[in-house]
Amino acid sequence: MIAHERLEQLRQKFGAAIQHTDFPADNRLFVHVEPAAVKNICQYIFRDMDARYVISIGADDRPYSGKFLVAHNFAFDHDHLLCSVLVELPADNPSIESISEVVPAASWAEREMRDLVGIKPVGHKYLKRLVLPDGWPEDVHPLRKDSRWDEVPTGFSDDRELTFDDPPEGCMVVPFGPFHPTLDEPAHFRLYVEGEMVRGCEYRGFMAHRGIEKLAESVMSYNDIPMLAERICGICGCVHSVAYTQAVESAAALTPPPRAEYIRTIMLEIERLHSHLLWTGLACHILGFDTLFMQSFRIREPIMWIAEKITGNRKTYALCQIGGVRWDFTPELKIELRQTLDKLEAEWRPIVAAVSGDKNIQKRTRGVGVADKKLVKNAGLVGPVARAAGVDMDCRRDHPYAAYDRVEFNVITQNDGDVWSRVLVRVQEVFESIRIIRQCLDKMPDGPLQLEIKDELPIGRIGLSSIEAPRGESHHFVITGENNRPRRWRVRAPTYQNLQGVPMMIKDQQIADMTISLGSIDPCFSCTDRMETIDLRSGAIRVWSQQELLKLTQRQKA
Amino acid sequence: MNRAMTWTILGSLLNVAAVLLLAPLFQGVLRKITARIQSRQGPPVWQPYFDLLKLLGKEDIESGETPTMQRFAAYLSLATVLAIACLVPMGFAVPLNGMGDVVLLIYLLTLSGICTLLAGIAAGSTYSLLGISREMMSMISLEPLLVVTLVTGALHAHSLRLESVLNGSPYAGSGVPWSGLILLAVMLLAFQAFVQRVPFDISEAETELMEGPLVEYSGPKLALFKYSHMVKLIIHSALFAALFTPWGSHLVFPIGWLLFWIKVFGLVVLVTLVAATHARYRIDQAIRYFAGLLVVASAGLVLASYGY
Amino acid sequence: MSVLSKLEETLACLKAGRVTLPYPANPDPVPAKFRGRPIFDAAKCIGCGGCANNCPAREILVFDVCQEVRILKYLGRRCTYCGRCAEVCPEKAITMSHEFENGTNTIGDLGQQLDLFMSTCQRCGRCFKPASVLEELKMKGYRSDDLKDERWIYHSKAYLDDAVADDIKIEME
Repeated sequence: MIAHERLEQLRQKFGAAIQHTDFPADNRLFVHVEPAAVKNICQYIFRDMDARYVISIGADDRPYSGKFLVAHNFAFDHDHLLCSVLVELPADNPSIESISEVVPAASWAEREMRDLVGIKPVGHKYLKRLVLPDGWPEDVHPLRKDSRWDEVPTGFSDDRELTFDDPPEGCMVVPFGPFHPTLDEPAHFRLYVEGEMVRGCEYRGFMAHRGIEKLAESVMSYNDIPMLAERICGICGCVHSVAYTQAVESAAALTPPPRAEYIRTIMLEIERLHSHLLWTGLACHILGFDTLFMQSFRIREPIMWIAEKITGNRKTYALCQIGGVRWDFTPELKIELRQTLDKLEAEWRPIVAAVSGDKNIQKRTRGVGVADKKLVKNAGLVGPVARAAGVDMDCRRDHPYAAYDRVEFNVITQNDGDVWSRVLVRVQEVFESIRIIRQCLDKMPDGPLQLEIKDELPIGRIGLSSIEAPRGESHHFVITGENNRPRRWRVRAPTYQNLQGVPMMIKDQQIADMTISLGSIDPCFSCTDRMETIDLRSGAIRVWSQQELLKLTQRQKA
Repeated sequence: MNRAMTWTILGSLLNVAAVLLLAPLFQGVLRKITARIQSRQGPPVWQPYFDLLKLLGKEDIESGETPTMQRFAAYLSLATVLAIACLVPMGFAVPLNGMGDVVLLIYLLTLSGICTLLAGIAAGSTYSLLGISREMMSMISLEPLLVVTLVTGALHAHSLRLESVLNGSPYAGSGVPWSGLILLAVMLLAFQAFVQRVPFDISEAETELMEGPLVEYSGPKLALFKYSHMVKLIIHSALFAALFTPWGSHLVFPIGWLLFWIKVFGLVVLVTLVAATHARYRIDQAIRYFAGLLVVASAGLVLASYGY
Repeated sequence: MSVLSKLEETLACLKAGRVTLPYPANPDPVPAKFRGRPIFDAAKCIGCGGCANNCPAREILVFDVCQEVRILKYLGRRCTYCGRCAEVCPEKAITMSHEFENGTNTIGDLGQQLDLFMSTCQRCGRCFKPASVLEELKMKGYRSDDLKDERWIYHSKAYLDDAVADDIKIEME
């Protein structure tokens, strides 16, 4: 068993530091280690065992075990193994040695741990606020169990401006965002510009942070959360709800019925289709090529219609429950889906052929926004960005889930790592998705849609799930808990990692290329930020100040 | 003298009125054709009229660093293009023939570009400054093309008078008009850049630069800029028609006039088709392209100086 | 050759024709499964509160006026149109209609209030067989959500145990 072999390797090197291990399945490994050894172990796993870094998670476990918990997740793609290195920290002094020196991709995750849970990564080189705004008081950490989910802490000054680093010598600062016509969502890139060349940038984001994880841990229940999860993102909703559901099922050792697995696969691939077509249109719009933008959206529209016919909504499918799915395929729907796919393929092939020969688009995208294999490894880039650089990774094949182990498909890679390669990867993945859906329709067995769950879900179990979203790997981490809700739920969207690679991608390129470089990672800031705001209005017509709106939705801590 | 004076005034008024009335119509046609190529229904052909009226009716908010200069730039941009309209033959003789020559035309055309620069500087925001730096680079590479064409025409016509130059003069060489054909090809390839449409609308790239120099404009002043942008399409088409397709311009008044507007319509359709099927170029790629065209145009000028 | 590919692209576009739909002049019908605004039928409702328990957005409030009268209020502001209320209703009193043009200036327009006369045991409502054990672990007993401020009160002690109740400091009147 591969998991055992990997563990043996670790034991031989670090025997004493490993406290205990857990093998819930052949493709999951949980290693509990001592805090002092965590940096060495992570370095060994990342560099010597050549695993891929996924995410680091901080959790407040004090009401249950009296300690804080830190998990560093890695993926052994070739061995089909997801591994988590867990550390328990004392409640009075939650600090852990930072691994960002040896694993550069962990930089954001550790800053988020510090912001939200209050676990201090000792030795982190750039410990600035990531998620919370600068006006947030220092000692209040929202994801701790003693913070309320609907309160503003005392000492919060909401009009304090963000502090920025100084630009390097000779560079002008061009602010990009939060309001920009290219971006659908707010993000702030402070570009340091010399003439027309970008020399560096500083990113401040998380302006749309909604506190989804806190909501799920405080007031929602297991079957409510898929509805919340699918609203994390405006395009890849199904991915998050399936990933969450699978994480809980993995923690509770539940297997949904085969028909449900096939249906999940089909809906995930339908989502990939509409996401890639949308991205192609958007990339062309960024390049100023509105005609192809309109055409991509025209070709994509029948997919939205068929999704509406199957699930009742164009995008928020409301598909998953723990242990199964809610919507079924009738024979008529199957026929209609096949017809839609045939028409889509027939219309998309000539467009792909035309775009591949189009020198005008290639001039704007070749050699732009390059991410090479080294950057992919260090920054932990995933998805089409990594595949365009020649790294052969795809969670559907490496960590099979739903019905992907029962269908055949190719993983598309290119070699140049620039925006043009990403375009090619995405337009060809459309054909692979169509192939997968057709196989699923052929092979789908009859049977129940939903597992009968007879007992309460076990408490305190950890579940990991990695799903290939259209943008890359979407990884969910769940610790099951009491009262019908998880103790900790961490969502790691692919854009979270891909954004960390953007400063390197746009360095020493022209400003005009910045938007298409950013667009080529297919950024989904909602996934990254995970938040929404709700505001209530009275019937009276009055201009509300920001203060008043905030007061309506929050309550001051006494 | 009196008759000539009347004719000058009437001609100018007719030109200005025609341009003002028809520029939004051609813009509407451009949008409609673009929409049909994109499988859309598109806005009605009268939409730009409504857009301009809406903008003119809005509150005039003065933001940006130097509002006085912004006002000045807005007025100047429309005024310049209308002045150029009086210097170009639109179906009949040039109205302000005696008042200026080709050199004045070149200056006015450059001035209309400078208005955008003024607008950007007056706004003072980072985006507008980036936009005007691109605009300046484009202008530096584009204006010479126009100058070379007009000078070639002047060389052939042996005069700087508008009525001689703006009358198919590049073709006036002996034998096969080589320089004329070369310049025709060059101007066709650069036409898109003169009228500032995709793939060469670099300074006003919406998705990259938040409208560039026009970022601090709203309401009536924006209406003036948009209007001058629409009018530029017409006057450049008129220049092109006068220089390279002058046939039929001597016909009797309504027929020659209608023929002229048909030629402009043809050019607008050409501009639309190219705009709808291309992605925007980056500034360095665009400048390299213009530089190449300039080299070819200079070859044409040299040929013209030898009489070909 | 770039010009050829441009021509190919243009031809592909022109072949498609005009796809703008004449909405709202002539709207297309929505598919049968479309999840629009939920409609509550007071005649069929038995007041079990299953819809309220399963609403992820907590948009359905339940308030027991007295032994026999229970008020069920659907607020409709944050409704996500997920359809779980319709799915768990044992009496099929909720239908997901096909209405999606729900924009309004008055927030109360979308609310539906059902005043129900309950004639049996108030403690557990009329129990229904839940879809799974996970659905069973929901709020039971007397319910007194805050209708005036329109929010949930996690009051029922049958659901939350002491440690957690203290932990999140529920308001007890």
